[in-house]
Amino acid sequence: MSDRIAGIVMLIVSIAFGITASSYEASFGDPLGPAALPVMLSIPAVLLSLCLVLKPDPDPVWVTGTPLFRQIAAVVLLIAYALLLDPLGFLLATFVTVTLLGRILLSGWLKSALSGVLMTLVLFVTFDTLLGLPLRALPAGLG
Amino acid sequence: METIALLGQGFAVALTPTNMALAIFGCFVGTIIGALPGIGPVNGVAILIPLAFSLGLEPVSALIMLSCIYYGCMYGGRISSIMLNIPGDEPAIMTTLDGYPMAQRGKAAEALAISALASFVGATFATVGLTLFAPLLAGAAIYFGPADYFALYVMAFATIGGITGVNPIKTLLAAMIGLMIASVGLDPATGTARFTFGSYHLYDGFNPIVAIVGLFAISEVLFYLETMHMSDGKMVPLGRAVPKLRDIAVGGWAHLRGSVIGFICGILPGAGASLGAFMSYVVEKRVSNKNGTFGHGDPKGIVAPEAGNNAASGGALIPMLTLGVPGSGTTAVMLALLISLNVQPGPLLFSREPEMVWGLIASLYIANVVLLIMNIPMVGLFTRMLAMPQWVLMPFVVMVSFLGIYSISNSSFDVLVMIGFGVLGFILRKLNISLVPVILGLLLGADMENNLRRALSISGGDPSILVASPIAIGLYLVTFAILAAAFYIAFNTRRAERKLGED
Repeated sequence: MSDRIAGIVMLIVSIAFGITASSYEASFGDPLGPAALPVMLSIPAVLLSLCLVLKPDPDPVWVTGTPLFRQIAAVVLLIAYALLLDPLGFLLATFVTVTLLGRILLSGWLKSALSGVLMTLVLFVTFDTLLGLPLRALPAGLG
Repeated sequence: METIALLGQGFAVALTPTNMALAIFGCFVGTIIGALPGIGPVNGVAILIPLAFSLGLEPVSALIMLSCIYYGCMYGGRISSIMLNIPGDEPAIMTTLDGYPMAQRGKAAEALAISALASFVGATFATVGLTLFAPLLAGAAIYFGPADYFALYVMAFATIGGITGVNPIKTLLAAMIGLMIASVGLDPATGTARFTFGSYHLYDGFNPIVAIVGLFAISEVLFYLETMHMSDGKMVPLGRAVPKLRDIAVGGWAHLRGSVIGFICGILPGAGASLGAFMSYVVEKRVSNKNGTFGHGDPKGIVAPEAGNNAASGGALIPMLTLGVPGSGTTAVMLALLISLNVQPGPLLFSREPEMVWGLIASLYIANVVLLIMNIPMVGLFTRMLAMPQWVLMPFVVMVSFLGIYSISNSSFDVLVMIGFGVLGFILRKLNISLVPVILGLLLGADMENNLRRALSISGGDPSILVASPIAIGLYLVTFAILAAAFYIAFNTRRAERKLGED
């Protein structure tokens, strides 16, 4: 079933890809044009997706419950970190993220917070001081 | 003779203090990464590429450092196989078969030393092979025209799955996904914006390194979150620190057999180190397993796959450097590095950048010696790394990936793209769709289109030029043969599995 769904998704993407590509105008003097290769790709992609829909492999085991929750939490946490790195400043954002990641990975609050502090400092020194990546250390209003 | 002179120049490059220091650093870090269960060589090399940029290294220095990390990972992969029965990466799976039983009998130190020696023999054999064969292949490759390159890329995509019995439809589909992702951005020849949906962030297309770190490192973390309650390896005690020489040199001809088989597997497109280790083990078992000791801690069962996988990883560098077509995941990642450094691999690399090629080859000889020294007397240090808890390791991997990607462009957009690729990589891996063809498509897509365009410019738009040269025809025939074999084997495996299910 998973393969069939993946096949259908890929089928739709490939068709949309081919149709979008075929609308690109070939500019003057170029023997290939911007549309040719994408259109050429979409044809085998459509056929392969169809094969997948028709001849799927057995399903993998999809987890549910707590492990799934952990995965979603980790992805949400990473997105939040990406968005908050600048406004919150590196030190605070990284400390919170590492601590929460540690919690998701089943360590205790104290150990997670400790690894959060240590890792934040190690990473800040490595990337900001040694490698010269300009990081905003403190929240936007303060630093 | 010329080769020796060039190699001499290479040593002059490799022996500069900076490059030596980077080589030793790479070996050390690589061994640690290889030993840690869960971060394989692909992840290790991928997350450290941004580091090479941040350090502002010369291309040759960056390449030396990452190649040493790559070699180090191949050495280190055996440590967790033997001590924990958890392979650090895919090629190390075969080492668990005899390595762990031997360690359980209290001979862990001997097993580690035996496998270090085997790694050394395999990797050195491959490096010698690289020295001898790469210039020959590069010489032959100058006869390739644009149409032949196009055929070569078609072959690379069609055969990357190899004849491993994985569903070939999925491998081909993965290559298509990669090529489709590669066509996002401005078309370099016509300036048309393709699939950018009006977002200027996408005008440059997807940065392969961002995609690679997401696909491999982030998806690995997601995988770990799923399986974390299952993996509970029990570490065996190390025993005596440095074993006697007599106990190490028990491999004999197994070293050479493993090296030859591994090297050949490494050169073949799409085979790589996993197949090298597997084939070496199977052959060695057939040759030496007279008393039925294989699988119960036979030293030759450790020597063969270790020599095999290290020889294969050296051999895999040959198609990457000479043709620009990588044969394995890690070499694909190294190709991404080269492209990012504005170095175009391929036959011209050897004539245009001899310093880089020969400096790299020379530093691989040095890396082997350094790794042998690190891995016999100092192995206790690396085994201690295995005790590092995953709740420290995994956040560390995430953070290094994150900051590395952030350092490329200082924008959170790239980081979000990385997370997106991480989720995509996780889903693809769950569906048993290999990620290497995706990367290969992403890396080679632009070049493939370029060669197609050049071929058509030569012929004035006549597509028959694509099958006009004997090289191209030969490549298409090989492609067809390998594909046919892949489908045949996959079909048979599937039928055998179904039969097994019915019984």
